[in-house]
Amino acid sequence: MARMTSIDPEHAQGAADLGFVHRALRHRSFMIGLVLTGTMIFLALLSLIWTPHSATEIVIAQRLKPPSLSHWFGTDQFGRDILSMIMAGAQTSIVVGLIAVSLGAAVGISLGLWAAARRGWTEDVIMRLSDLNMAFPVILIAILLTAGWGPGITNAIIALGIYNISVFARQVRGAGIAMWEREFILAARAAGKGDLSITVAHVLPNIVSVIVVQATISFAIAILAEAALSYLGVGSQPPNPSWGRMLSESQSYIFFKPVIAVWPGLAIVLSVLGLNLIGDGLRDLVDPRLARQR
Amino acid sequence: MTLLSVRDLTVELQTSRGMAAAVRGVSFDLEKGGTLGIVGESGCGKSITALSLLGLLPDGARATGRVDLDGTDLLSLDEDDLCHVRGNRIAMIFQEPMTSLNPVHRIGRQIAEPLRLHRGLGGAGAREEVLRLLHRVGLPDPARRINAYPHQLSGGQRQRVMIAMALSCAPDILLADEPTTALDVTIQGQILDLINELVEDTGMGLILISHDLGVISESVDNVAVMYGGAIVEQGTTDRLFADLVHPYSQGLFAAVPRPGAVRGARLQTIAGTVPELADLPPACTFADRCAKASPVCWRETPAMTAFGPGHAAACHHHERRGDA
Repeated sequence: MARMTSIDPEHAQGAADLGFVHRALRHRSFMIGLVLTGTMIFLALLSLIWTPHSATEIVIAQRLKPPSLSHWFGTDQFGRDILSMIMAGAQTSIVVGLIAVSLGAAVGISLGLWAAARRGWTEDVIMRLSDLNMAFPVILIAILLTAGWGPGITNAIIALGIYNISVFARQVRGAGIAMWEREFILAARAAGKGDLSITVAHVLPNIVSVIVVQATISFAIAILAEAALSYLGVGSQPPNPSWGRMLSESQSYIFFKPVIAVWPGLAIVLSVLGLNLIGDGLRDLVDPRLARQR
Repeated sequence: MTLLSVRDLTVELQTSRGMAAAVRGVSFDLEKGGTLGIVGESGCGKSITALSLLGLLPDGARATGRVDLDGTDLLSLDEDDLCHVRGNRIAMIFQEPMTSLNPVHRIGRQIAEPLRLHRGLGGAGAREEVLRLLHRVGLPDPARRINAYPHQLSGGQRQRVMIAMALSCAPDILLADEPTTALDVTIQGQILDLINELVEDTGMGLILISHDLGVISESVDNVAVMYGGAIVEQGTTDRLFADLVHPYSQGLFAAVPRPGAVRGARLQTIAGTVPELADLPPACTFADRCAKASPVCWRETPAMTAFGPGHAAACHHHERRGDA
């Protein structure tokens, strides 16, 4: 990045914009994150058309086999191929993460923007409701939903989505309020624009970076939470493979076959790590000041 | 014909120490096509006066009095009706062209915004009009610059873009709040010339706000000097600068550095600093810094008194001088 420092500050942002891909390629941890997340998405997509073995077929004769050429990661207590289950489990994680984050982001961003634009009691009501929402841990929401409608992946997604609403609402409100203080917003108001069109045309585009970073981190948290919920039995239900449930089922064999707990654990760690590295990297890459320091 | 008539405008702002008056009983008129300069130091209420005309005061502020635009009291309009006035009948340009454009949108889109909003222009029609406006404000190579982002333009160019935006709906009044303060001296001259030329060509009224007496004296027909939220002296530019009456105006004028002054001579200053809004003297707001102040200045608010045609000031002591 030494080259960047010689450019005068007025044009630095322009140069930074042009070199985004270039800078991303040089950002080591961002690239590691991209590779990890890319692998996870690739495996999930591949599992739609092909897995080494069936992810759900039980072959008792093959139970608890160590890793071999035909079963790279070995088999579990029912003789299912662990690699195939990990691949199919990635689907569950991605679907849950994607829907839960989209749900939370859609509602949360709207509420945050609304609070930032209106201030006053509208903001107070939205933020106090968000506090209330935050006071309920996501696990508790999921268990409440399960008590009402029974266990299942849908309830896990809804619980995570509700939790994400306040996460996004707070972030967007904070960034939005800072944006409303900027002079170009005053200029837009002086030009006769209403609150809604200012929000859409001026506030939102300027806080996209905050939202993108938050989305990647929320995605990682959602994967972790889905695993936790499935581990507790209130998330994805058998026979759908899920990393969390694989971990919970391997618990009974932890002392004599610890390796079967390692695979789903590793999958969770690596995918969460990958998304967090992407989030961190994006935060650096979209901020020209941080970019130049590196 | 009077286009804008401001009567007894008072604006109170919320401060950490309660409500404080930032603008106190300001009155002025602007003729159709007329030009008015408002001059005063930082914090004297110039910008708040301008923002209150558009209903853009900060949260918790309260404006009273009357602001009549063609017979409509702007202070009584609701937000929706104000949106039709803003940018359409009264347009505003700001001090900082660096920050008053949205960094994420191309300038063409930003200029087209008011066109779409107030004139219903879109697509090719808007683009053509934007090109015309950019050409009009003297931005070189408009066809290429229309796709530029604000950070790709210089300060002077950005201010030209702001002016193009302000002109887009052919407003009746252009409010220019320190339009040249953030620019180099040479660019300042160019931008002022442009504004004056546009005022002459389009027949729109101009309210120019500045702390710079030089800028004011060259650009407007009428001047109002503000201090502590009140207009202390106003008149036609020629008469006012020929015979400054109010001690504050005199001090402000004396403080301007002049080329050819004796080497080593100190610049004139006005003693003290502008007090906080809540600490302003109750009657004449200049009383605590004025060399001529006497007890009456602390008791009674001086009324605007005429000193010849088209020249008035609010000072107890000038009256005495006149009587003697």
